Amino acid sequence: MDADRITSDESEGFFNDFIEEQLNDLVEDIINEGDLDRTDASGSDLIVEMDDIEPPTLVYGDQKSGGGTGQGGGEPGDEKGKLKFEIPFERFMELVANKLRLPNLLKEGKGKIKEVSYHFKTFGPVGVLLDKKRTFKRALRSSISTGVYNPNEGRFDVEIRRKDRRYKVPQREETPKYKAVVFYMGDISYSTFGERLELEKRLLNFTHHWLDFNYGKNNVEHRFFVHDVEAYEVTPEQFYQVSNIGGTRASLVFDLISNIAFNEYDPATTNFYGFYVGDGELFGNDAKEIVEIIKEQLHPMFNRLALVEIQPSRMSCLNAEVTKAFASDRVIRTCELKGKKEIIKVIKQMFEARHA
Amino acid sequence: MLSLKSDPKLFELAQRVAYFAKEKFSMTLPEMRFFILNPMEFAALLEKNVYPTSPINIWEGKKIANKKHRIESGQESALYYEVVQTGNPSYAYLNETNSALTQASVMAHVAGHCEFSELNVLHDSDMNRTEYVMHLVRKVDLGRHQMCERRYIDYWNACESALPFIAPNSQYNLENSIDRESTITASTTAPSGTPESNKRPFSLVDNTLDTLLKPSAAKPFVEMEKKRERHETLSRRGYSLRAPCQDILGFLRQYAPTSQAEHAILDYLYTAHMHQDFVVRTQIMNEGWAMYWEKKIMMELFAEDAVRGAIDYAKVFSGVCYPRPYYQRNPYHLGYHMWLHIEELYNEGKMSLDYYEETDLNTKQEWKKPAEKLNPHACMRHLVKSTTDYEFLRRFLTPELVEKFHLNRIDQRTAQKLGIKNEDIIKADRQWVWLRPEPIKNEMLGFFAHFYRPRIYLIDSDFMDGGLLLMHRDDGRNLRAEWIRPTLNNLNRIWKAPVYLLSKDKLYAASANGYKESTIKGVVTFEEVAERLSKQQKPFKAA
Repeated sequence: MDADRITSDESEGFFNDFIEEQLNDLVEDIINEGDLDRTDASGSDLIVEMDDIEPPTLVYGDQKSGGGTGQGGGEPGDEKGKLKFEIPFERFMELVANKLRLPNLLKEGKGKIKEVSYHFKTFGPVGVLLDKKRTFKRALRSSISTGVYNPNEGRFDVEIRRKDRRYKVPQREETPKYKAVVFYMGDISYSTFGERLELEKRLLNFTHHWLDFNYGKNNVEHRFFVHDVEAYEVTPEQFYQVSNIGGTRASLVFDLISNIAFNEYDPATTNFYGFYVGDGELFGNDAKEIVEIIKEQLHPMFNRLALVEIQPSRMSCLNAEVTKAFASDRVIRTCELKGKKEIIKVIKQMFEARHA
Repeated sequence: MLSLKSDPKLFELAQRVAYFAKEKFSMTLPEMRFFILNPMEFAALLEKNVYPTSPINIWEGKKIANKKHRIESGQESALYYEVVQTGNPSYAYLNETNSALTQASVMAHVAGHCEFSELNVLHDSDMNRTEYVMHLVRKVDLGRHQMCERRYIDYWNACESALPFIAPNSQYNLENSIDRESTITASTTAPSGTPESNKRPFSLVDNTLDTLLKPSAAKPFVEMEKKRERHETLSRRGYSLRAPCQDILGFLRQYAPTSQAEHAILDYLYTAHMHQDFVVRTQIMNEGWAMYWEKKIMMELFAEDAVRGAIDYAKVFSGVCYPRPYYQRNPYHLGYHMWLHIEELYNEGKMSLDYYEETDLNTKQEWKKPAEKLNPHACMRHLVKSTTDYEFLRRFLTPELVEKFHLNRIDQRTAQKLGIKNEDIIKADRQWVWLRPEPIKNEMLGFFAHFYRPRIYLIDSDFMDGGLLLMHRDDGRNLRAEWIRPTLNNLNRIWKAPVYLLSKDKLYAASANGYKESTIKGVVTFEEVAERLSKQQKPFKAA
């Protein structure tokens, strides 16, 4: 027998390629349909299920088909009749990142977000672009040492050997260029109790993780704020654990981030992004005050300011007021999040270049 | 994969096993080649139908990925008791992680399987089977490059749908269902028993007087017309159906229009899977035979101290031969004890006419008259040569044995789940219930009619102008509806013409134009179809 080792590696690779294709389609579906229900709040791995694959044949209708598992990008699971895979959160983010980027990232400064460029600075023994000057120099040097080139004896040959060749090799260069600060503002008043608050946290959590993934951890500065009748800054951990407190006054939080942006950063070199999520149920002149703050303070400074109404009711008025003042604006976005299946759709609206 | 010679101790053990098997017990053995594998190689070998190589395919990949996961997560043991591909030579594989004691028992067990395969009435053992399959694998690999990847995958997957339709040992196999030109020519040229001189000279003109006086006399003109029609059919297609054919993949392999590459795939799949039919039809006898000889050889090895650990072996043996209820029958347990019982019958002379004709119950119960010059092993081998599981159980399994082997014993919880009625229970304790043993034998025999699978037959290969008509033999159960369409589409890809399925009062059709379901008016039974085919009539005509 000519086989030294019995292996199914080739077939396994064949199967894994097939699963890989299926997984890409599946993740695409998740992104398009916006169903993020399969990820939890901590940015853990995504568990996806697909129907088991079996060759169809004529069997009894009441006969149970065997379950199966497989191995694709992640670890195979073991549920009967289903193929279960864990897609690492990073990989999922990679797919999402291809679709979404921070808009209007224009102001240049000394931030942590780097610009990537390639320069032909290094030279290697293999490559595509031959560096004639360096190659000739090396060839001449070796020709002299081997005696092929010796003017004293009337030998002027230069032998270019394979190992004398030098090629130009591109080198990746990362230049610190952009500085970005993102302000997350959450409404924790009693009216957002329950599912609304969960949705708020879910939306901002996903945005937070995605930006971290896309631009590198700690390269984008994230600052979290909450408000009821007062506004205050919290840590990310506190933000995700916070529960409902009291009444609603949202203009305070806009005022707060405006002060922080102006006093703590250099508006000329910092890219500011603000995401406000709440139910939009504001009272008195609160919405109008917010419009004023945006118009006078935030709009000139911010690259993007998105306001998301979570499960808006008839009393929700924030978006209506803001849209009235900033229709088709380049910076301001207003969105509605009605359920968890719309999270990706809302994120797309928050980040897209033109108004939806 | 290592040769057995790489381990001198195991090599010596194999020689001792071969010595006892051949010299002491006169077993008929082919050449047995042993190889040592690591656990993952073992897992791969099982997914390749116990051949060292296989063509690349997604299903094997899926199974191995699943198996790896199960082994790694501890859901499945990587230890396998014995794996052998019978034939001449036979290839048997040993797991490198097993102890010398287990390896010896595996080798002894393999000897039992090899002899069974050599002797059995189904003639399972063939020359160079493994080598031939490896040759087919190379042909498929070549075909894959010819077909290009996408078409190869599609065609392979289509063939997977037809894999359950392999039945080379069925009553309705290719040999019994198909008339080919060669078989027709043989039958027409065979001597008819009538001396040539007595035959009337052939005349195209019918004699009126003869017709009136000898109405039963054969009409040569009509006979010739029939022959001409059959020959015309055969010369067009090369075959005709004379009975329903259950070996559908075998039929497609021979008669489907295929390219060389496609034919290589069909050839490989059929050849690599056809022996499973033998296994399923002889599993009880086969495993029992292997256990029987394994124990005999192991006792000899213990006696000469070639291996040690008789108690450990006894524990493993009793674990393998653990009794299970009839519907989950453990072939090792049932087969082993059946063979022991048969040996006892021969030793006590109970397989004799005198014993059967004895009318006195006391004499019969105390019967011990071993026949002189009767070798029980030779008699048992005669049984191997002449029977399969069906006949084996039909002849030897009695209600007493059903009870003795605990085939009628079910645990309380399962009995409740199955809704077993009180009148079927003969006794019960806290853990078990015992069912009436009499109906159990018939239940077990019923398995060999259907193997718990729907019975699908090919009944017409020229249905509605070139279509393949399949029939589901009605047994009161419905087919899985959502799989009918993809299965027929896959068969359509192989047959390259419309494929139809008749199941109860429904006719399903898959062709290049799409898929169609229709209800038929007159339901035909399998028996009617068989009768029509035997009369060279169309088995079914669509309205």
